[in-house]
Amino acid sequence: MASSLFIAARFSSDLKPFVGLRQIPPEKHTPLSKSLPTPQIHRRFRISASKSRPKLSGRNLRVAVVGGGPAGGAAAETLAKGGIETFLIERKLDNCKPCGGAIPLCMVGEFDLPLDIIDRRVTKMKMISPSNVAVDIGQTLKPNEYIGMVRREVLDAYLRDRASASGASVINGLFLRMDLPQDPTAPYVLHYNSYDGKTGGVGEKLTLEVDAVIGADGANSRVAKNIGAGEYDYAIAFQERIKIPDEKMVYYENLAEMYVGDDVSPDFYGWVFPKCDHVAVGTGTVTHKGEIKKFQLATRLRAKEKISGGKIIRVEAHPIPEHPRPRRLAGRVALVGDAAGYVTKCSGEGIYFAAKSGRMCAEAIVEGSEKGKRMVEEDDLRKYLEIWDKTYWPTYKVLDVLQKVFYRSNPAREAFVEMCADEYVQKMTFDSYLYKRVVPGNPLDDLKLAVNTIGSLVRANALRREMDKINI
Amino acid sequence: MALFSPSLPTLSPFFSPKPHPSQKSLLLHYPFKKNLSLILPGAAENGAGMVGSVAVEEKLDKKEEASDLEKKEDSLGLNGSATAAAPKFEDPRWIGGTWDLKQFVKDGETNWDAVIDAEVRRRKWLEENPEASSNNEPVVFDTSIIPWWAWTRRFHLPEAELLNGRAAMIGFFMAYLVDSLTGVGLVDQMGNFFCKTLLFIAVAGVLLIRKNEDLETLKKLLEETTFYDKQWQATWQDDASSSPRKG
Repeated sequence: MASSLFIAARFSSDLKPFVGLRQIPPEKHTPLSKSLPTPQIHRRFRISASKSRPKLSGRNLRVAVVGGGPAGGAAAETLAKGGIETFLIERKLDNCKPCGGAIPLCMVGEFDLPLDIIDRRVTKMKMISPSNVAVDIGQTLKPNEYIGMVRREVLDAYLRDRASASGASVINGLFLRMDLPQDPTAPYVLHYNSYDGKTGGVGEKLTLEVDAVIGADGANSRVAKNIGAGEYDYAIAFQERIKIPDEKMVYYENLAEMYVGDDVSPDFYGWVFPKCDHVAVGTGTVTHKGEIKKFQLATRLRAKEKISGGKIIRVEAHPIPEHPRPRRLAGRVALVGDAAGYVTKCSGEGIYFAAKSGRMCAEAIVEGSEKGKRMVEEDDLRKYLEIWDKTYWPTYKVLDVLQKVFYRSNPAREAFVEMCADEYVQKMTFDSYLYKRVVPGNPLDDLKLAVNTIGSLVRANALRREMDKINI
Repeated sequence: MALFSPSLPTLSPFFSPKPHPSQKSLLLHYPFKKNLSLILPGAAENGAGMVGSVAVEEKLDKKEEASDLEKKEDSLGLNGSATAAAPKFEDPRWIGGTWDLKQFVKDGETNWDAVIDAEVRRRKWLEENPEASSNNEPVVFDTSIIPWWAWTRRFHLPEAELLNGRAAMIGFFMAYLVDSLTGVGLVDQMGNFFCKTLLFIAVAGVLLIRKNEDLETLKKLLEETTFYDKQWQATWQDDASSSPRKG
C-alpha cells in the first residue's frame, strides 16, 4: 500500500507486524513432525511431510468448487491445471451479477484476461465532496494504465470456460447442502439440484462425492453456513443502471465519479460508473440500510445534471461483506472470495481479491496433494490462509484506516477530497490500487503529506464547529 | 423540470423495499410479481414519485432463487418534479466556483474571517439542501488558500487560552496543596520523578479530556483501532476448538 497511507495509519493506530496477529509466537512452529496429532492444542502451522497423507489409489483428488464467479472460475482453472478432478457448480450460468465491475490493471496481466473483455478503460475519476468541491484524479496515470470496467456476466463466463477447457466439469446446479465426513479420508457428500439439460422447473436432485470443497458462492454462501463459518457485517449496495443520452454519455467515456457526503451515504460513497452503453448510479451503506432508497435519491440528485434525460433500465442490490467471516476454513472446506468476506473497506473492491483467493486456495490444494496424488488435510488449506493474510493484510488494514479516518463525517470527507487534489496522493493511490503493491515513497513527501492531511482535517473540523453554531 | 423522461405515463405504481432487518425470510422478488408495500418515504423530496422496485435480500432461505436481487424494469424513470427544486446556493461573492477574495477586502487587506464565515454558511446551506454537482460551474474552492495564521488566530488561540488557563489554575492549586501537605516547595517538587509523572498526566488530561463524554470517546477509539484486526484473526483463534482431524 502507499506509504502515504501508512502515514495516515501511523497517527491513528499502530500497524502491528504480522507475527503479532498469530496466537502463538513463531518459535513454537515445528517444521517437521509426525503425522499423528499431539494432544496439545497450541500446535499449529505444522508443515507435515506429505508422506503422512495417504496416497490416493486409482484416482486423483476430487475437489468441488461451489459457485462460478471470479473466485470459483479462477480456483477451478488452477485445480484442473494441477491435475485435480474438479467440479464447478454454478446455479445460473448467465448470471448478470449486480456489481461495480471495476478490475485493477494487475488482474488483466495476472489472469491473462483478453482485452476485449474490458468494456471501458477508466482513466479519470472525479471525487465530489459534500459541498460539491470536485477534484479530478488520474493525471498521474501513464497512457497504458487504466481501471477496467467489465460486465460480470462476460468475465465470469470467460473464467468458467477457461476452467472447463483446462479439464474442470462445469455443473449447472444449485448447491443445497453437504454432509460432513466423519473421518479424515471419507468424502464430503454434496447435495445439489441439477439443471443440466432441463428447461425449467425444479431440477433433479443429485449428489456428488468429493474430497475437498472450495466455497466460492458469494456473500450469502451456503457452504459457509454448512461449516458454521459465522456471520459478518455487510453493506448493502444499491445500484440503478441508467441509459443516458449519447451526448451525456460522452462525459462518462472514461470517467467515473465518486460522491461523498452524509446525504449520499453515512459510511460509504455514491458512484456513477460507466458501463458498456449505460451508467450505473448507486450507493451503499452498512449502518443505515433501511434508508438506502433515500441515499439513492440523493446520489441521483447530486448527479442530476449529468444523467438527466436518462431511463432506468435495471435496479439491483446486493450485500457486500465488510470483513472476513470468523471461520474461513473447517476441515477440508475453505472459503474464498465474497464467501470468505474478502472485500476491502473504503473502496469496496472484491473482484480481484475473489479471483486471487480462489487461485491461491487452489494452489495450496494442488501443492498439498502433490498434484492430486495424495489426500489433503486441513493444514494444507490453512497454508492458503496464511499466505493470503500475510500478503494482503497491509492492504486491507490501510484501507480500513482510511475508511475510519475519512468516511467518518462530512468534514472528514471534505478533507479527503481536498487531499485527493494532491498529485503525490494520486500517484500513490493509483499505484497501490492498480498493482496491489506497497511502494515505499519518498519520506520527505510522506511527511509533507502527513502535515497536509492533518491540516485539511483540522480546517474542515474547525469549519464544522462553526457550522454548528449558525442557523440558516 | 423533468429529470427523466418516462415513457410510461405517470400512473406507474410506487414501490419500495420492505424494511429489511427484521425479516429473516425476506421476500424474493420475482420478475413477474410486483410487490406493493409502503410508499417510499423519500418520495416527498420533490413532491414527485420514485419508482424503483427492489427488495433487498440478505439471507438465503429455502427457496431456490437468487441470492442477489435483479429486477428488470423497462423504461421507468424518475418523474419530473412538479414543484420547484430546492433553492440553489447563491452569494454575490461566490464567483466561478470559489470565493472572490477581492470582495472580502477590508482596510486594504483580505478579511479572512469573513471568508471563513462565508464558507461556513455555504457548507451549512449545502448540507441542508444538497445540490447537483455541475460541470459548467465546478466548485474549485480549497480551504488551504486561507493562510495558516488566520486559522490559528480564530480557532486555535481561544482554545489554547482556555486550556492554558485551566492548566495554570490546576497547577497552582496542586503545587500549593502538595507544599502544604508535605512541605516540599515548588522547585523541589519538580525534581521528584513521581511529581513529574503526575504533571505529565495532568497535562495529558487537560488536553484530551475536555468533557465527560471524552472519556467514552477515547475508549471507543481505542477499541475501534483494533477491531478490524480482531475480525481478521478470528479464523486463527478458532483453531484451538476444532481438532485438526475433524471433517
